[in-house]
Amino acid sequence: MTELSWFLHYGTIASCIAITALGVGIGEGLTSQAAITALEIQPHAKSEIAKINILGAALVETAAIIASAIALILLLGNQTINEFTGYASLGIAFAICLTGFFVGLFSAKPANAAILAVARQPFFSQRIFRFMLISQSIIQTPVIFAFIIAMFIRSQSVYVTTMTDAIRLLSAGLCIGLGSIGPIIGLSNFAETACAGLGYNRTAYSKLLTFTFISQAIIETPIIFSLVISLFICFSFVGDNMIAAVAFFASALCMGLGTFGPGISSGKTAAAACRQIVINPDIYSSVSKVSIFGQGVIDTAAIYAFLVSLGLLILK
Amino acid sequence: MEGFDLLQTSYWQPLAHFGFTHSFFNLNMATIINTWLVLIVLLILCLVMGFFLKYKNGKIRFIATSFVASFIDLCEQIVGFFSAAHTGFIISIFLFILLCNCISVLPWTEEPTQDLNTTLALGIIVFIYCQAAAILHNGFWNYIKEYFAPFLIMLPLNIISKLASVVSISFRLFGNIFGGATIVAIYMSAIQGSILFETAGLLGLNWIMVGFFILFEGFLQAFVFAMLSFSYLSIAIHGESGDEQ
Repeated sequence: MTELSWFLHYGTIASCIAITALGVGIGEGLTSQAAITALEIQPHAKSEIAKINILGAALVETAAIIASAIALILLLGNQTINEFTGYASLGIAFAICLTGFFVGLFSAKPANAAILAVARQPFFSQRIFRFMLISQSIIQTPVIFAFIIAMFIRSQSVYVTTMTDAIRLLSAGLCIGLGSIGPIIGLSNFAETACAGLGYNRTAYSKLLTFTFISQAIIETPIIFSLVISLFICFSFVGDNMIAAVAFFASALCMGLGTFGPGISSGKTAAAACRQIVINPDIYSSVSKVSIFGQGVIDTAAIYAFLVSLGLLILK
Repeated sequence: MEGFDLLQTSYWQPLAHFGFTHSFFNLNMATIINTWLVLIVLLILCLVMGFFLKYKNGKIRFIATSFVASFIDLCEQIVGFFSAAHTGFIISIFLFILLCNCISVLPWTEEPTQDLNTTLALGIIVFIYCQAAAILHNGFWNYIKEYFAPFLIMLPLNIISKLASVVSISFRLFGNIFGGATIVAIYMSAIQGSILFETAGLLGLNWIMVGFFILFEGFLQAFVFAMLSFSYLSIAIHGESGDEQ
């Protein structure tokens, strides 16, 4: 059985970097394509467009850097492999591959919108650049969370001796990996609309900046619930008890799948509000209130999933 | 990279000789020392600012006044009216978290905010402040009535969604700062021992890592915390439907 463990261990190392690089590569390709289109629209702004293209691509690449760090740690660290350690490595693979692929692919979208916005407003490029930097680096947070969980799984995987522990660590990785997909899509949808909106109406800048901070934080809330459940799973030690292992797995699936709907639709709500603010900045305060209220109601679905997951973990 | 332990902390048990040895009574030494260090830095900053405010047309005076003015603007935009108490509260929260996040650029220090106890305490402070502001502004009876907002049976849901805000605001800060600090620590231990890597690091890679993961991420998370506190305050005062318009 140790052969399977070795296979899963080295498979994790390879797939971490390969799948993340796939997403990041597609994302950077889209960014460069948008830069070429922008140069076609506004050839005189070529220095601004080149600058924003390079920095956007560099931010997209954060996911690949973190995935390669994990791969190097797994490769160079001490390896005591028994027949259960492979499943813990599979948990790291779930956490890093899912978040890395989706972050790489979707964090390119706001960069595209920002590059096209610079083509529309070349003299406003400094502020568009700053806006893109902030909104894109908030999209990167799921990778950092997945990195934390991967490090915890890594530090515990040496002591895994039972199948229950192995499934526990696998569930911890699965929870943060699945849980970040929906919010990432929502975040990128919203940030894309906001960056494009700056190109249409630059006078809405200060209002859009405030709105972006609040909305992105609310869209991101389901990821934080997944992080909490993941940490909880990581640090709840039980003996050799198969029913508890099933409860861990069910709780991870519940929280992970429960964030899909709230993440995507919360992002859509905020994007619609963003379009209204761009069209008419004067109605900012009422639009933002309606949007935040709607997002709060949408997030209750994620809170239900969170409560059921906590219940599964506590009452197992 | 061998022996890299993430959970290595030293605890102090002040009440151990009274018999309180449960882990609830343990104090994390690093967090306490670094928090006091942040408070000392904050005090020195306040004294220096107060000294330079005497001079008209100074650069430091301009920085200080424009900083405060931008927060007053934010308060008027989000809460709907200016209140010296609310603005002062949010500015102090923002400055404290900013210094907590960025204190590890000084040698032999680490961020107090990478301890969950600190961020949870900050979240609870903001929660209690918002509830107190709601009671003072709307009266106690209206405050209680909000819990039964659409129907009577929504009471548990309302309580849960209020408590979930504490969890979300404190775990967001903790996760981001802890993740950034861990990544920088792993990077530093990875480049040790190789002259090639260390030269590359000193030439600029170290500055990029520290600048992005500690300074930029720290500023961003402090600002997000302040903005979210403002919006929770606004929701607590005006109610979720926005009745002041």
